[in-house]
Amino acid sequence: MKLKHVMIVLKKEIKDLIRDRRTIISSIVLPMILIPLINIVMGGSIQKLEKDMNENVTVALSQSSNTAEVRELVRDRILSKNPNIVLVDADDPARAIENDEIRCIIDVENTYAEKLNKGQPIKITLQYDESKTKSQAAAEIVSMAVGEFSAEVVEERIVAMGFDPAILQPVQVEWENIAPADKGNNMMLEMLLPFLISMLIAIGGIPAATDLVAGEKERNTFEPLLTTLPDRGSLLLGKYFAVTLFSFVSLVAILVGLAIGYMVNPNSLTVGIDSGLQGIMLDPLAIVLALLITIALGMTFSGIQIALSTIAKSYKEAQTYLSFLMLATMVPGYATMFTQATDLSPVMFALPVMNTVAAFKMLLGGRIDYFNLVLALGTSIVFVAVTLAFAASLFKKEKVMFRN
Amino acid sequence: MIEVIELVKKFGDFTAVDNISFKVNKGEIFGLLGENGAGKTTTLRMLATMLRPTSGRAALKGYDTQKEPEKVRAQIGILFGGETGLYDRLTVAENITYFGELNGMSKAAIRERIRYLAQAFGMEDFINKRAAKLSKGMKQKAAFARSIVHDPDIMLFDEPTSGLDVTAARDVHDFILRCKEEGKTIVFSSHSMSEVDKLCDRIGVIHKGKLVDCGSVEELKKKHGDDDLEELFVRLVGAK
Ligand SMILES: Nc1ncnc2c1ncn2[C@@H]1O[C@H](COP(=O)(O)OP(=O)(O)OP(=O)(O)O)[C@@H](O)[C@H]1O
Ligand SMILES: [Mg+2]
Repeated sequence: MKLKHVMIVLKKEIKDLIRDRRTIISSIVLPMILIPLINIVMGGSIQKLEKDMNENVTVALSQSSNTAEVRELVRDRILSKNPNIVLVDADDPARAIENDEIRCIIDVENTYAEKLNKGQPIKITLQYDESKTKSQAAAEIVSMAVGEFSAEVVEERIVAMGFDPAILQPVQVEWENIAPADKGNNMMLEMLLPFLISMLIAIGGIPAATDLVAGEKERNTFEPLLTTLPDRGSLLLGKYFAVTLFSFVSLVAILVGLAIGYMVNPNSLTVGIDSGLQGIMLDPLAIVLALLITIALGMTFSGIQIALSTIAKSYKEAQTYLSFLMLATMVPGYATMFTQATDLSPVMFALPVMNTVAAFKMLLGGRIDYFNLVLALGTSIVFVAVTLAFAASLFKKEKVMFRN
Repeated sequence: MIEVIELVKKFGDFTAVDNISFKVNKGEIFGLLGENGAGKTTTLRMLATMLRPTSGRAALKGYDTQKEPEKVRAQIGILFGGETGLYDRLTVAENITYFGELNGMSKAAIRERIRYLAQAFGMEDFINKRAAKLSKGMKQKAAFARSIVHDPDIMLFDEPTSGLDVTAARDVHDFILRCKEEGKTIVFSSHSMSEVDKLCDRIGVIHKGKLVDCGSVEELKKKHGDDDLEELFVRLVGAK
């Protein structure tokens, strides 16, 4: 095996792949644009929904309770707490909900004034449409306002009886966050970013791998290549590094895409939910280890992808095998997506894909644990060696190399 | 120059090449004549070190194909029939350069060689065009040029005219003769008796993996007493 030959092949494959529109689109353009775009759009719509739910909460009184006194009570005493609630008039309140003109109907029983005076409970019914998120949210918001009104009445009555309202609250609960100040809440980021990094590095080389072996066989360029001076090992390594490089390129592409998305809309990074970029562990050694683990994952998958592309009898078949590989890759990815940085186990660090997910979760929110990182790197190197040896053994197999 | 001794290749239970021996002298064109599935491609692949013989051995310029495969590959140029095997997304010059680099040539030598080949094959107009954009004839010229970029002493052709029209086939024949003029030793396989007759100094008739007969066309004709080449071929093949 000669480095010179490896470099010649690598250089040529890069040139060749860069000119392949199919590879460029699927390993660079799509990850760079698609995922950040999904994040922005999804994040945008989640935020918009949240805003819509809390603002402009239009309500109306039921027909039976739509009297001047009730309106005054509701408007001045109950709803005045929350300026976002707007009381409107509706001839047919039920239809108005149906047509999204209002979100909630307030029904106050007729005898309310008398009961209020006598100190009896009055009944207020909130009618809403469970199938509408905004209507449901409105009912909750109004219910809160009613609760506050109720508390006010209680306080008035207690005071009227000559007591201190404080007797109603024998215990006061206070919440205090004692997490270190630099440990922010990166839950969403911890969930998404390690997953995306691992997925992209694991599947980013697929278009290149398909093209570089199955594609060459299909186009009849492989046999002439095999008759040139370099040994099979050099040819394999040249292709292997080209595939690894492309998986990195697609990882970089998505990171660039996410960064641009972050600049356009900071919340896009976390799909619109609490964008926290604080509290990320910037431990240089841990970052280096995580990067090495990522590189090893990329190499491991290059090996598998080249092997599958070599086994395949045609380009189509290679595409099929590699899309199965892609689905298989997602299993460990999704399995660990919701694991929190504080719950990482050594097993995760010892398995491919999961190890990269775990390493980045640790960087984003956990305590740095070098033992686990080194464990992940150690096992990763074993995976790299095994998969590369497998691909190399296939390159030596006549049965696989010359199928016809 | 080329020595093949009791070469055998089995694929599982199936014997594709069965105990073949022949010699090719320097500067000779040797034709491997046989029908479909006779074992021509398999034999050439063993010569090119792509397949390992099950038994027997082959040596090119004194280098054993199994012991010194890289030395062997450095001596040979190959042209396989059917597709030209050019990289569509590379230009003609880049295709040639790639093979030159792989075969250990320096950048300067490659540049010089491409200039020469472009002129020799009349490729100046499309030397910097991508292979995908070329006509069939242009691709063929490019493939010729690529196969001899490193000026190998031995050329292996596997049914180089299969699927070609008459003009293209004649271009291939001209190329083979040109290689001979340059002093190269040539093995080429074919299933066409007339083609072999036109080009070869000597032929080996191969049938179901076995070498049925071997010698110059004249010798074979004399030996079997027949002038009609096709007839001779059928007789030789049917003999076993
Ligand atoms: N890799 C392989 N595995 C199994 N059998 C093979 C393999 N390669 C060739 N064969 C078989 O060996 C026999 C000889 O094949 P070969 O390709 O050498 O014939 P050929 O003379 O080149 O024929 P053709 O004119 O069709 O090219 C055929 O029966 C073929 O099916
Ligand atoms: Mg053949």
